[in-house]
Amino acid sequence: MTYPGEITRRQLLRRIGMAAFVAGPGAGLLSACATGGAGGGSAAPTTSIAASADAKNPFGVDARKPLEVVIFSGGYKDSYAKDLHEELYKKAFPGVSIKHTGTQQIGTQLRPRIVGGDVPDVLNNSGPDALDLAALAAEGHLADLAPLFDAPSIDDPAKKVRDTVTPAVIVNAKINDRDLVLNYTVSHRALWYNAKLFASKGWTLPKTWAEFTALGDTAKAEGILLFAYPGQKGPYYQLWNVLYTAAKIGGNQVLIDIDNLVDNAWNADGMRQAVAAWVDIQAKYGDKAYFGLDHTQTQVKQLQNELLFYPVGSWIENEMEKDKPADFEYAIAPIPDVTAADKMPYGAIQVGVGENFVVGAKGKNPQGGLEYLRIMLSKEGARGFTMKTRNLTVVNGAANGLDLPAGLMSAAKAQDAAGQNIITDARFEGWYKELFDYGTEQINVVMAGRITPEQFCTNMQRKADDIKQDEAVAKQTRSQ
Amino acid sequence: MERLRKYGFVAGFLVVPLTLYSVFVISPYVQAFQLSLTSWNGYSAIVRYVGLDNFGRLLGDEVFWQALRNHGLLLLALPLTTLVIALFLSFLLNLGGGARGAGMRGVWGSKFYRVVFFFPQVLAVAVVGVLFQAIYRPDEDGVINGLLAKFGIEPVGWLIEPGLALWSVMAVMVWQGVGFYVVLFSAGMAAIPKDYFEAAAIDGAGRVRLFFSITLPLLRDTVQVGWIYLGIAALDGFALIQVLVGDKGEPDGATTILPITIYKNAFSFGKVGYASAMGVALFFLTVTFAVLTLRTTRRERVEL
Amino acid sequence: MASRDMGRPRPGVLSGLSHVALAVWALLIILPLLWTFLASFKSNSEIFGDPLQLPGALRLDSWGRAWDEAHIGQYMLNTVIVVFFGTAGTMLFGSMAAYVLGRYRFVGHKLIYYYFVAGLAFPVFLALGPLFFVVKQLGLLNSHVGLILVYIAYSLPFTVFFLAAFFRTLPEAVAEAARIDGASHTRTFFQIMVPMARPGLISITIFNVLGQWNQYLLPLVLLAGAPDKWVLTQGIAGISTLAGYQADWPGLFAALSMTILPVMVVYIIFQRQIQSGLGSGALK
Repeated sequence: MTYPGEITRRQLLRRIGMAAFVAGPGAGLLSACATGGAGGGSAAPTTSIAASADAKNPFGVDARKPLEVVIFSGGYKDSYAKDLHEELYKKAFPGVSIKHTGTQQIGTQLRPRIVGGDVPDVLNNSGPDALDLAALAAEGHLADLAPLFDAPSIDDPAKKVRDTVTPAVIVNAKINDRDLVLNYTVSHRALWYNAKLFASKGWTLPKTWAEFTALGDTAKAEGILLFAYPGQKGPYYQLWNVLYTAAKIGGNQVLIDIDNLVDNAWNADGMRQAVAAWVDIQAKYGDKAYFGLDHTQTQVKQLQNELLFYPVGSWIENEMEKDKPADFEYAIAPIPDVTAADKMPYGAIQVGVGENFVVGAKGKNPQGGLEYLRIMLSKEGARGFTMKTRNLTVVNGAANGLDLPAGLMSAAKAQDAAGQNIITDARFEGWYKELFDYGTEQINVVMAGRITPEQFCTNMQRKADDIKQDEAVAKQTRSQ
Repeated sequence: MERLRKYGFVAGFLVVPLTLYSVFVISPYVQAFQLSLTSWNGYSAIVRYVGLDNFGRLLGDEVFWQALRNHGLLLLALPLTTLVIALFLSFLLNLGGGARGAGMRGVWGSKFYRVVFFFPQVLAVAVVGVLFQAIYRPDEDGVINGLLAKFGIEPVGWLIEPGLALWSVMAVMVWQGVGFYVVLFSAGMAAIPKDYFEAAAIDGAGRVRLFFSITLPLLRDTVQVGWIYLGIAALDGFALIQVLVGDKGEPDGATTILPITIYKNAFSFGKVGYASAMGVALFFLTVTFAVLTLRTTRRERVEL
Repeated sequence: MASRDMGRPRPGVLSGLSHVALAVWALLIILPLLWTFLASFKSNSEIFGDPLQLPGALRLDSWGRAWDEAHIGQYMLNTVIVVFFGTAGTMLFGSMAAYVLGRYRFVGHKLIYYYFVAGLAFPVFLALGPLFFVVKQLGLLNSHVGLILVYIAYSLPFTVFFLAAFFRTLPEAVAEAARIDGASHTRTFFQIMVPMARPGLISITIFNVLGQWNQYLLPLVLLAGAPDKWVLTQGIAGISTLAGYQADWPGLFAALSMTILPVMVVYIIFQRQIQSGLGSGALK
């Protein structure tokens, strides 16, 4: 199949690696499973390990010391760590022993241990049960990653690690101005659809809301839903979608204000219009059954061509790989223009980094932890991750020459087209979990039509005000 | 001497259970009670005491009151429904066969039924939760809605309609619990001397009258024990609701219950102190319920 | 007998109606379980299709996946070990405490009874954090011994609550006779009272086996660092989360079936004892 203005694969791959992320801060909280995010609390002293210029072993890792790695085993599973990164580490330090744990319950398993001061050396803190990184940082449990970013890269010792990754990594690493979190994956969020279905029906992507609803009518006639999101367990997909739509209408400032708990941020025009637009779509083109389906159930329905557009990120292709029929090809579609005066032009999508890795400062082997992350950020480590999980990493050019699946290529192309118009991430998801949680509940209520869009904004604003006044909640701010 | 021996024996028998219980159960709970007076976030090394602030906040917390309302409904409806169905089924099982020859007897196949009815009791709650998600699915792929579709009935949003969700959850609890009480009541009925029924039957009493005038009064104690078990179950429901509908009390707080609210506050929102205060409230709620039930029904054998 | 029945509904009709009611409830239980079992052989799209259709082919691969990914074999063995010793310990110590509290009058006996019963009223997960440190300080973290002791401790409130009432109802005359014969308190307990209390003990054993078999939160926290020691519920939770990420619904249902089947088999083998024990025990 050909797209208008098709570029060659080689060009494309170069862009995925190199051109990415010139605009806007990348997202903090990405994949289906990422939560946590960066954020403050009072900065407590954090151990800092000095990096030497020795490219082989800049942190002075002692090969006799064992390394403990705990990985959130969700959509990416944990074999990229077990069979790849840990093997690379063992190769670098022959005879070293690694204790590996893959789990879906990061918090339940680790929280008591960590309170007791025992933090694993490497931790992928993701998933619905992730730990509060800001609170960990406040207690000085997280190692400073600045030495890692300043250490020589494995592939080219003349370069620092910070120059081999996308800039969003550095921006998103910060909790209270210290580099504490490594976001490892890159993903693209907007609406996802079946490109082959569109090609076979001769449909084109809607650019305006009128085209969007017109397509909704056409699809309805064929028994296909225009849009659906999973109301059970995954209503946050729709909360994201509404937030990104608000940013498209009113600019990224809408989300920045919401994150900063600015007075009346939720009552901004862009926010109201975004909610109203999607509520209208649900009322006219939606099916209430989806309020009771979870994300995989909904995604299977999309594979069966029962719905056209689904709000999600680029990880979906890997998630559904096993069930994807031959006549289904994932592709990303930007959110259509809601008004004629949207601040961001058509084509804007959300691109960000995710999957939070941290190193335990008070663990037994923080040097090993830093070295492990350095290995992850090598070309070999990153390529291997992409091959195993079909998802991109933050390492520049690491995916060059790889045979990437169609969905990822479409995402790269969309990013290229978006240029500077990259929608930012909403960080209150990690900063103020209670507000985000409340939002995911309220989004179902408003989408089901049980409250009006105005009431939704009012409710959210009230909750945000409560959080703002709650002294027990440590506040964070962002400028961009 | 005998006195001394008795005390030695008592002490000897109590020392291990008391130690285990104090170390593993009471000491953690005492700490949790202590935490209810703090603003601890679950991570920090410094714990700040805030007195009764957490309890004061509780009074103004909508979610807390919503959870209490839901528990109230569960406390009334869950035991009632479960016990009525269990009594009805065990009556049919044991006495439905009619008065023939020597007396009342069970229906044909009652043994089979008794075995089957108990099945759900041996299933892990997580298993039941996953299973009923498939059964309650809100589109035609759901087991119930698929059946309804065969009769041309539109799919019903069992777990997504605010007015239905809690009842659907309760139905699962009833489904799982009935078998246990059927076995309990069956044994009770089997223990009632046959002469009672024969005498009554000769007097021309119908089976329904037999049930209300003989069976029920004699089972009073058993029913009461069941009420307490089910009451405690109604104040929990954590695992089932977590798996079945999630942890946000979806839809619109219709399935909000205290244990889940406690769990979320403690582990998601970093409000361990506040969550502990809710735990203390739940503790007193359960104790109050148990004392009230036992006092009002004046059961002598279980002392409280 | 026919003449006596005149004027009342005939037993045949009533009997028929009872059968209908009973059969309906039986189907309500059997069908969902059967559906689970069948779903394990279906493909994803069949599970997402007409719920009433049979699997198109007998697919066994999901069972293999479930076996590997949920580690059903290993976890089943672990669970059996923990539940066996956990229940045995609970019954031993629980009945000892209950006996003393139920039948002996001494200073503070009521207080100790309430002390135990109070444990029924508190949500377990609130104790998880502090409990972790208690177990850690005793050096029992990530060990089956630690988990077994904790299971015993957490099963005591209900066991004591139930059995104390049960022991209280046993006739005093027998105990008196034993004492006159010169039997010690301990001998009286093990050789006379325990056999007499057998029905009650059986029913509460069943309760504890079920409770400990289904326990999830305690092992999750106390065995966190030793995946080879995990129990079955952890395996199921794992595969059910994974099903969410990889859409492996047949695998999930296979795992469910795998845990349901052995329990069913054990239950059917012992159902007579369970039912009679439960019945007579609960009646007291």
